[in-house]
Amino acid sequence: MTPEDRERRWEKARHLIHENGVSYNVYGDPRGMERPWSLSPVPVLIAAEEWSALAAGVAQRARLLDLLLADLYGEQRALAEGWLPPELVFAHPSFLRAVYRARVPDGRWLPLYGVDVVRGPDGRFRALADRTQVPSGAGYALENRIVVARALPELFRACNVERLALFFRTLQETLAGTARHNRDKARVVVLTPGPYSATFFEQAYLAQYLGYTLASGGDLAVRDERVYLKTLSGLQLVDVILRRVNDDYCDPLELRPDSVLGVPGLVQAVRQGNVALANPLGTGVLHTTAILPYLPQIARHLLGEELALPSAETFWCGDPAAMAVVRDRFDRLVFKPTFPEGFTLPVFVAGLAQGERDRFRACVEAAPRHWVAQEQIAVSTTPSLDEDTLAPRALVLRAYAVAVAKDGYMVMPGALSRVARDRDNPDVSMQVGAGSKDTWVMGAGPVSAFSLLPPPSFPVAISRGGGDLPSRAADNLFWLGRYAERAESIARLARVVAARLHDGPAEQMLAVDSEAMILFRALAAQTEAPLPHPADLATAESQLLLAVLDVERNGSLAAVAQRTLRVARMVRDRLSADTWRVIATLDHVLGVRAIEETRSRLGAITGLLDRTVQTLAAFSGLAMESMTRGQAWRFLDIGRRLERLASMALLLRNTLARRTEREAPTLEAILAVADSGITYRRRYLASLQTAPVLDLLLMDESNPRSAVFQLRALVEHVHALPPQLDAGIRSPQVRFAMAALAEVQAADVELLAATDMDGVRGDLERFVARVEAQIPAISDSLSSTYLNHAPVSRRS
Amino acid sequence: MKLRVVHRTTYLYSEAVSTSYHEAHLAPRDGEGARLVAHDMAIDPTPGVSRERLDYFGNRALHFSIREPHRTLEVVATSTVDVTPKPAPLLHTTPVWQEVRDRLRRDRRKDILDAFPFTLDSTSARVGPPLAAYAAPSFTENRPILEAVSELTARVHADFAYDAKATDVTTPVLEVLRRRRGVCQDFAHFQISCLRSLGLAARYVSGYLLTRPPPGRPKLVGADASHAWLSVFVPDFGWVDFDPTNNLIPSDEHLTVAQGRDFADVTPLKGVIHGGGRHEVRVAVDVGVA
Repeated sequence: MTPEDRERRWEKARHLIHENGVSYNVYGDPRGMERPWSLSPVPVLIAAEEWSALAAGVAQRARLLDLLLADLYGEQRALAEGWLPPELVFAHPSFLRAVYRARVPDGRWLPLYGVDVVRGPDGRFRALADRTQVPSGAGYALENRIVVARALPELFRACNVERLALFFRTLQETLAGTARHNRDKARVVVLTPGPYSATFFEQAYLAQYLGYTLASGGDLAVRDERVYLKTLSGLQLVDVILRRVNDDYCDPLELRPDSVLGVPGLVQAVRQGNVALANPLGTGVLHTTAILPYLPQIARHLLGEELALPSAETFWCGDPAAMAVVRDRFDRLVFKPTFPEGFTLPVFVAGLAQGERDRFRACVEAAPRHWVAQEQIAVSTTPSLDEDTLAPRALVLRAYAVAVAKDGYMVMPGALSRVARDRDNPDVSMQVGAGSKDTWVMGAGPVSAFSLLPPPSFPVAISRGGGDLPSRAADNLFWLGRYAERAESIARLARVVAARLHDGPAEQMLAVDSEAMILFRALAAQTEAPLPHPADLATAESQLLLAVLDVERNGSLAAVAQRTLRVARMVRDRLSADTWRVIATLDHVLGVRAIEETRSRLGAITGLLDRTVQTLAAFSGLAMESMTRGQAWRFLDIGRRLERLASMALLLRNTLARRTEREAPTLEAILAVADSGITYRRRYLASLQTAPVLDLLLMDESNPRSAVFQLRALVEHVHALPPQLDAGIRSPQVRFAMAALAEVQAADVELLAATDMDGVRGDLERFVARVEAQIPAISDSLSSTYLNHAPVSRRS
Repeated sequence: MKLRVVHRTTYLYSEAVSTSYHEAHLAPRDGEGARLVAHDMAIDPTPGVSRERLDYFGNRALHFSIREPHRTLEVVATSTVDVTPKPAPLLHTTPVWQEVRDRLRRDRRKDILDAFPFTLDSTSARVGPPLAAYAAPSFTENRPILEAVSELTARVHADFAYDAKATDVTTPVLEVLRRRRGVCQDFAHFQISCLRSLGLAARYVSGYLLTRPPPGRPKLVGADASHAWLSVFVPDFGWVDFDPTNNLIPSDEHLTVAQGRDFADVTPLKGVIHGGGRHEVRVAVDVGVA
């Protein structure tokens, strides 16, 4: 491959990552939480024979830890016989006494297992850390595979790379198998800590790929010791939870009382065996590298075997004998806290200056039991593209295994490979900006192609329902519709204001009744910001910039765009890949850099507003074209219609409530804001009059921006939502929407356009007020009927 | 002596609670000098589900959930317990405290391994140098463990003022040490923290005191609510209770409900509710000779 060829292919891969929005959230990053996933183009290649030896070691470790968990939550022989220091269990925050002696399906404590592995200078693999609680990263491995295989298709085929799909298919079967009832169609949900967790992208991606509902704690409820998903059509029983929430956060009643991520009553449902968790509650107790030195003897006792995949040499400093060795070799060790709380970086003593080294040493001596020391392995490196040349980088593989029949494990033929960011840096944490790679296990002959499409033996019931839409997702879709539409309205209005400010002599445009100032005031109302009447053009321009760009202002375009993105992230698993790509570009269109560049000059703002309007229009169009007409789409569209109606009412109230000297240019500006100028001119040629403008914007059923158009759509939507038992014949939202529609249909535009002696349009004002009053009524009754199943819980 | 306990907890909410989930530790333990004769729980409104289990520490824990909207919740636990006076331990015959500490660290005998977790940090009983330093004067070289604990109990009683306004359930032990005031729960947590900081095993005991003592006996402090004290583990002697609030070794006027690492393990009544607005709790405890 020539460098140009390579660059072209890699550009394609980068493009895919960017477009798919593959990301990783970084805590405490001032530049924003979402960092694009960093994937290096050169895959890690491992020969089949070498891999099968490693895989056997991974499977053995999984079997061992499965048995150890069962022991710790049962007989505790490992403690009584002295195989493991009891403190490592009893002081561990994830040793959950609430599930001690709880039964787990088929006695399997470890349905899913992950392990970080490095290759040492002797060529042997060693385990650095076991992931027993919520092993993350398998979804990223899958995404890496899809991207790299697309960028290097010929190479991928030539290398006979083992496919990953069978692993995920097995995961599905294993999870379904843990359900107590209906194993053939078990309802599995992915319990997410929410869009702010580091691996939220992966959680949403896996949920979509595996066909599970992504749910946060608030989407679930415990009734009669069973777990239910709160959906628009009511409560639906949940059989299995693939959890990404840490042990102690899962139930505020019995575990961490300050957790807002869990489900009250979950532990009791687990103890009754009414729901299966993968991995089960309490499995985090093995999440400490301090147990590594004890695994060989535990393996001998529990399995009668030697560890096939040994651990890196590790010392728990709470053991006096180990601490003696640690003192001798202090400078060459890597330290980690015994029980990491939250995210902590390992301390590489060799990388510390002398003063820091002494201070750190004193810190370890003061509380040795809180520290684990590991040898710093001269880990093998992998070639990575560094600028234009291939350069070595430290490499850590994360391998995965899933429980299968009896006591076996199936190891994923591939791994998530992580590579250090710099040549001399051994740290491969994604939090510090390490990169990732695809991992190819190369078979000797052609591999069987397999995808997650269901085989004939796996019948799928035909279903057209969308009844499993969680209430919270419906709520977020509703607000996504509202915010996206509000952002578009502000952008359209601001665009017209920016243009009109320079449409004539400054003194004329700055007059109180000029069309520029009338719209300027409408913009102030739309962005909920008091904008004093500007004394000169420069002031007007800077106020306009603030209304649009100032994120600190609650109603500014930038703030509304951020809210749009936030709710979009929360329903990402409900949006098609294309729809997500479009909405995600808002982050660039109205991102920090774009705002910085625009802040200084008004000229740039028109371009920025154009791009915003185009992005949002593309989003509306895609949602219209790519979403099935289910409940998700309805809630998105209800939000959009309500907001468009509100914006229209606000615009008319702020511009036409009083006749002014410059009525015609004002009308023209209004038509521009409402994107209805062309229709008007085609119908009425150049004659600008209030009544026909009102007719077009309020009553014209063929104009997709008219009030009546929004209300017709709203009435249809609220009729189509699932009926609620206690709502009577007509639910309140149907009544309010129909009342507003009748109000608009019965309006007389000539009367609305008429003014009194003082030029005031009293009828128009009262009419707009009546329509506007129905908007919160519709919104609130929808909320109380469908969306409020998720009240915030708190402690008493 | 038969004691009858009525423990009434009332929650008043400013707005309706739609759903609530609760866990109660209100049934007295059976055994160790006490025999549970009768126990009854009356909950209003009636729970949709309620189920009792033995928790990790062997206490009876009742889980219940209420699904009908309500603005008050009343939980009344009524128990009758037959209490036998415990013989006072011979303090000076107990093993040397350092020996106990070392056995807890190394010995894997069942009872000692079971006591070991009570040497470790827990949410409300924290291990630390200031706590070890406070305990140190009582724990001199080769002193019998219970003699030392008894002296420590007397010092806590003397150094700390009983003051219901000084602290709440979240006040950390180091803060209690700084202020030198608090209630029975604070004194228990504090003394437990001192003992654990020396590597000894101490657990938290929640229960009641006789509110209406027989004629001729004084009414003890903390008798109108739940009471709390602690228990210390001595190999081959078992667990021995100490009450720093009253500076005594409990006999037949203390009634154990539950034992755990600290208050969080044995909270008499806790819950997570949906709705409710502001709330007010009223607790009334009455313990008399049956």
